[in-house]
Amino acid sequence: MKRRILFLLFSVCWLPLAAQDILSPAEEAYRQGRFSQALGLYETALKNHPNDPFVYYNIGNCYFKMGSKGLAAANYYRAFRLAPRDKDIRHNLSLVLASSGDRFIPAGVPTVLHQAFYSLSYDELRGLTSIVFWCFCVLLIGWLLKRKGFRLVVLSAFVLALCAGWLYWRHTLQQTPLAVVAVPVAEIRSGPGTNFPASANLTQGHLVIIEDGKDNWQEVIVQSQGVKGWIEQSALEKI
Amino acid sequence: MLKKLFLLSVLLLGPLYVAAEVVLTASTDKTALTLDDEITLTVQLSGVTGNIVMPQLPSLPAFNVYSRETEQSVINNQAVYLFRYTMLPRFVGQAEIGPVKFTYKNQTYKTDPITIRIYRDPQSVPVKQHAKGAPVTKLEIDPGLPPLEADLLRQSYAQSGAPFFLIAAVSDSTPYVNESFQLAVRFYYSQAFYDAPYKKPTVSNIFMEELGQTDGTQKIGNTLYRYNEQRYQLIAPAAGPATIGPASITYQTGRSALSAFDRLFGGAAVSEEHTQTSKPITLLVKDLPPGKPNSFYGAVGDNYSLSAQVTPRNVEVGEAINVAVTVKGDGSLKSSQDLSLPAVDGFKVYPAASTSGDLPVKNGIPQSYKTFKSVFVPAASGIYILPSIKWSYFSPKTKQYKTLLTQPVQLTVTPSTKTENVYNFSPNSPAGGGFQTLGSDIHYLKTSYAPTSNILARCSQYGIVNVIALILVAIMVFFASIGKKSLAQKKAYTQAKTRLKKATNGQAIADTLSHYLQQKLKISTGSLPLKDVAAALSRKGVTPATVQQFSALWQKLDTARFAPEAWGAQNALELRQQARLLLKQLEDETK
Repeated sequence: MKRRILFLLFSVCWLPLAAQDILSPAEEAYRQGRFSQALGLYETALKNHPNDPFVYYNIGNCYFKMGSKGLAAANYYRAFRLAPRDKDIRHNLSLVLASSGDRFIPAGVPTVLHQAFYSLSYDELRGLTSIVFWCFCVLLIGWLLKRKGFRLVVLSAFVLALCAGWLYWRHTLQQTPLAVVAVPVAEIRSGPGTNFPASANLTQGHLVIIEDGKDNWQEVIVQSQGVKGWIEQSALEKI
Repeated sequence: MLKKLFLLSVLLLGPLYVAAEVVLTASTDKTALTLDDEITLTVQLSGVTGNIVMPQLPSLPAFNVYSRETEQSVINNQAVYLFRYTMLPRFVGQAEIGPVKFTYKNQTYKTDPITIRIYRDPQSVPVKQHAKGAPVTKLEIDPGLPPLEADLLRQSYAQSGAPFFLIAAVSDSTPYVNESFQLAVRFYYSQAFYDAPYKKPTVSNIFMEELGQTDGTQKIGNTLYRYNEQRYQLIAPAAGPATIGPASITYQTGRSALSAFDRLFGGAAVSEEHTQTSKPITLLVKDLPPGKPNSFYGAVGDNYSLSAQVTPRNVEVGEAINVAVTVKGDGSLKSSQDLSLPAVDGFKVYPAASTSGDLPVKNGIPQSYKTFKSVFVPAASGIYILPSIKWSYFSPKTKQYKTLLTQPVQLTVTPSTKTENVYNFSPNSPAGGGFQTLGSDIHYLKTSYAPTSNILARCSQYGIVNVIALILVAIMVFFASIGKKSLAQKKAYTQAKTRLKKATNGQAIADTLSHYLQQKLKISTGSLPLKDVAAALSRKGVTPATVQQFSALWQKLDTARFAPEAWGAQNALELRQQARLLLKQLEDETK
């Protein structure tokens, strides 16, 4: 029994190191230009570390070097959602979006404001809102008990309202179904089928919002162009 | 033994080879004629090279030779000389054209003699064997012959018998859009002619380009024809019908009403003008099938090859790399669009410029090439891969699109050794300052996993704490608002104020005050003397000044209750006002 416990402890201790070992050969393959091999290794690493923004970022880099800018943008965006403050992720995402004519920071929005809005990740923002809520509750209880500190209660309520609004906004954006064009050129049609005429072409890497779906077709909005239409599902990579 | 056999065979076969090399023949366009007519003797010589001397004619006492022509052509890569003598007969009767001699490399060659009958009366001349438009030779076409040649052969046999005719044929009557095909127009003649302006055919929905002209001979039946062929390369730019109009040639023949004697001795030759036209041709141009690859630039044909030349492959930053992609194959590539070369990260690519041209004809099919040249300038050092370049075409033979690929090329770019950097690919980058933007690329990999969640992110996982906090607040609110005081106590002041507004005499005001004290402070005023009531108020935390005010008001109210006539309406209002103020003070002091 003791041996089993020791073996289990040993395995648990070495597990993170074994996973870390995947990154070295992946980086080596990337440096030597064997991008598809590096991609395979990073995808293996993602299975062990789901939702790791850095692994998504590296996968995006591999796709970019392989010429698949659409898939690169999708993975950069996944990384950005998890770690919005990371400068490398922001740089690569803005670069790949710019190459397809999209903007990372919407037109008219100051960069500082955008950075402030995304200064916390979604989980961090939820945590901050929880802490503010807890503070508000403590102050309210104190006031109810002692009838003292009413101004602090009001102030904490105001901060809580701000955090809740910020969280609601981010939650709305987080829940918006996004996708990127993953094929060299995708045709936007007026209906879900090839019998509908194509109204526009969209190069890979363009960010679209998914509105609806029917069979193998997705109704999308291209915000940068103000265009709405249908694209084949196989041409899109959902984020 | 073997040596002897070899020498013997050389000695025996050598003269045979030499004899077979030179061919000398003589023929006439007719074997019977009248005194007014003329006869053409044609001597054909082939298999000789270098400078040659004229064949030696025999003695021709029965004829006057008044015209000599020499023509040279190349048939099957062999020079063929034709010596044509036009002669006028001098006597009626049978005449003989003796052997024509030709000496070449100390060897004399001779032709067979030809017997000619000369008549005085035209009616005596035997009828020609072949009448115009009545071919006598049965045609058997080799199935392996190209369609264009087979069609020309078929048409020429159909027209055989006529001394002059013009035919036209195409290599494909149902070509694809942009497919290159050929038109041949041939003028056959078996007699002499003069001044023959040629008018090429007009076309619709077709681009026509001349490929050149050739001369040749063809024996149809017993008649040896010479022909002049004009070839064209055709390309139809759009699907649908296309037409090739008739070609025509107008020529003069030397027939004349004057006698041969007059023509020989100063008579003016009167010529006749004739025109031959070819039949118009209608084509049906087929559209290309769907499924064009992205790398299809409009080329239609077969036997294409693609090659890429990249020079140099080792450069410094800022030096130019020339990339030339060449396509070769059947037909014309002039109408195909320019190739778009792939963008390579880290390189400034200057647009491709294309050049095209013709190549030597291969198996009777014109060949052409198109070269796309581009310049790649690296912006940063490193090892780069120029990816495969794709080029697709449509093959009419297989009716499929085919794609050709070049091999990927590795390029090595080393840092610039030049002291003066002049490379600047960013139009907005400021000059000077020791910094120049060379280009932009993605940032490098992350070499580790993301750090574990910080305290804020971890707090988001404790959702249960939010629920607990909410429950605690609710409990506190409950205790603070309802748990300490009864609902009656809570409502006592409100009810008292309402009742006080309606009170118009001392009794009503006293009852309101009494009811308030009963509900709020649990003090019964009915059974207690004023002194005890004041003491009870003091115990409940009411200040002495308020207790004193209460006592004074209560006494006034007693007076008002028991002597109402002594108190007017004005006093009732004052008492009510005092009671309202007292209630407020009590409410504040007993919270």
